[in-house]
Amino acid sequence: MSVASYLWRYPSALMAWRNLGRNKLRTALAALGIVIGVVSICSLGMATVALQQQANSQLGDIGNEVTLSSGQDSATDGVTPDQVEMMENLAGDAAVVPQKTNSTTLTTRNGQEARMSVTGVTNAAALYNLTSGDAPTRLQSGALISNDTAQTLGLELGDPVEYDGRLYRVEGFIEESGSSFGPGGGGELVLPLSALSDQQYYDTVTIVAADGTEAEEIGTTLDDYFNTDEEEEVSIRTAGNAQQVGGFLDTLSTALLAIGGISLVVASVAILNVMLMSTVERRGEIGVLRAVGIRRIEVLRMILTEATLMGALGGLVGAVASLAAGLVIFNTLTGDPLAALDWSSSQYLVYGFGFAVVASVLSGIYPAWKAANDRPVDALRG
Amino acid sequence: MSVIELEDVVKRYQSGTETIEALKSVDFRADRGEMVTVIGPSGSGKSTMLNMIGLLDTPTEGHVRLDAREVTDFSEDELTEERRTGIGFVFQDFHLLPMLTAVENVELPSMWDTSVDRHDRAVDLLERVGLGDRLDHTPGQLSGGQQQRVAVARSLINEPDILLADEPTGNLDQDTGKTILEELTRLKEDENVAIVAVTHDDQMLDYTDTTVRIVDGVIREVSRP
Repeated sequence: MSVASYLWRYPSALMAWRNLGRNKLRTALAALGIVIGVVSICSLGMATVALQQQANSQLGDIGNEVTLSSGQDSATDGVTPDQVEMMENLAGDAAVVPQKTNSTTLTTRNGQEARMSVTGVTNAAALYNLTSGDAPTRLQSGALISNDTAQTLGLELGDPVEYDGRLYRVEGFIEESGSSFGPGGGGELVLPLSALSDQQYYDTVTIVAADGTEAEEIGTTLDDYFNTDEEEEVSIRTAGNAQQVGGFLDTLSTALLAIGGISLVVASVAILNVMLMSTVERRGEIGVLRAVGIRRIEVLRMILTEATLMGALGGLVGAVASLAAGLVIFNTLTGDPLAALDWSSSQYLVYGFGFAVVASVLSGIYPAWKAANDRPVDALRG
Repeated sequence: MSVIELEDVVKRYQSGTETIEALKSVDFRADRGEMVTVIGPSGSGKSTMLNMIGLLDTPTEGHVRLDAREVTDFSEDELTEERRTGIGFVFQDFHLLPMLTAVENVELPSMWDTSVDRHDRAVDLLERVGLGDRLDHTPGQLSGGQQQRVAVARSLINEPDILLADEPTGNLDQDTGKTILEELTRLKEDENVAIVAVTHDDQMLDYTDTTVRIVDGVIREVSRP
């Protein structure tokens, strides 16, 4: 069954389809404008989603963390075990990881030296990713060390490192977090809390929440509990970075979509032009339609359908092309091409298509109205 | 009773600052089964009169009646409806739509009317004008005479009371023109339709029942057999 025989039931659509087929090159060029508009809107939209995902995955390590340390009005030089206990009560399911910090200089057997920070922690798994295997949730006798520091010093798994007169065996290498904000950016040695037992209080407490929003909530709860407007017992920092970066990306995405929108506006002007030209050329024909009793609304519908079909055709091709572009963009930026199919990014295909159709209909209104309201006796003269 | 009647019709155009009186108090009527030929020199008001009869234009003064119904003050949409149901048009240069086949062109006036299926009538009309084997040809694949026969079939699709022909043989050679006129004459009787034709073609006078001569917007002569 051909398209035309199906469309026969919808005379406006049939006529529109046949009219578009009369000058295929012109139709194709007008639709190409729409294709370009849709591709630019969709691919820019999808690119910002990919950027957002990429940024979130890089900032994710700190974005969901609350970092606490002794406040400026605290009587103690650090966070007390009692305060840690209260934090555990208030933080719900989130992991509360108290740490003691210091610094040291490691010396290897061949005399090479590296200055690095030392962190005493029990639940290492909550804070550190290792290059292979998992960090222990209870670090008791071993040590973890930054991967690049280990390479510099030529350390291997099982090698001993010395701190404060005691030896610890290297159990794992800490993966680079990918950003300079995170721990492990400089050289870092992670030891059991017992290694820093001469320090009475904890220097920092890190609370690892499920996401940035929960981290903010926990931060607020703890701030309400520990601090007043005048006195800061515990200093609380949540990584506002994720929100700031998110805000920036939102702005970027709006700007990029606006740029994409401009190309769609250009495309709809092209459609307006094509529709105007084709109705002027067909003035006599439209006069015949009107003379033989085709109603104004029917002529209007026919020409609007032409514009809509052109937009839908361009929008469809554009959406398919954008999907291909999206797969490439996601593959390049996040390494996962199939993430382009996720609604957060594939929604732009729907929007792009929708905008294309709406823009085309809007462009068709004036030519259609003009043709439909031409007096048949004038139109017949051509 | 006349199927179409013009009474005391005046039509004035504004052309720049000048007012042109194209029709000056014209009285005209045509009956079913009658062929009326309107002749006259260029610019005499023939086409303007045909536009009045075809409800494509409205008079400045006077009355237009269709089947004794006053349609002078009808709105554009009402006139469209009257044209659809009651009037068929045949034009000098055929005015077929190039992207539609012969049978689709014939169905065109009834295409948006989903309440009736005119396909069988379209095929029947095309067969009656001798184009039964050209149903799916597009106008580009038909000769001038064949295209005009498609146009004649189209004008009759909605079983009109009046068929208006503006120089129907104007773009055809003598023999082809003759064939068209013979077909019009036959259809006029078969379909009991009034045909009003404007022409310069003398051979048309051999087929006409009534001849109306118009000069300078005034009807000078009406000859009935």
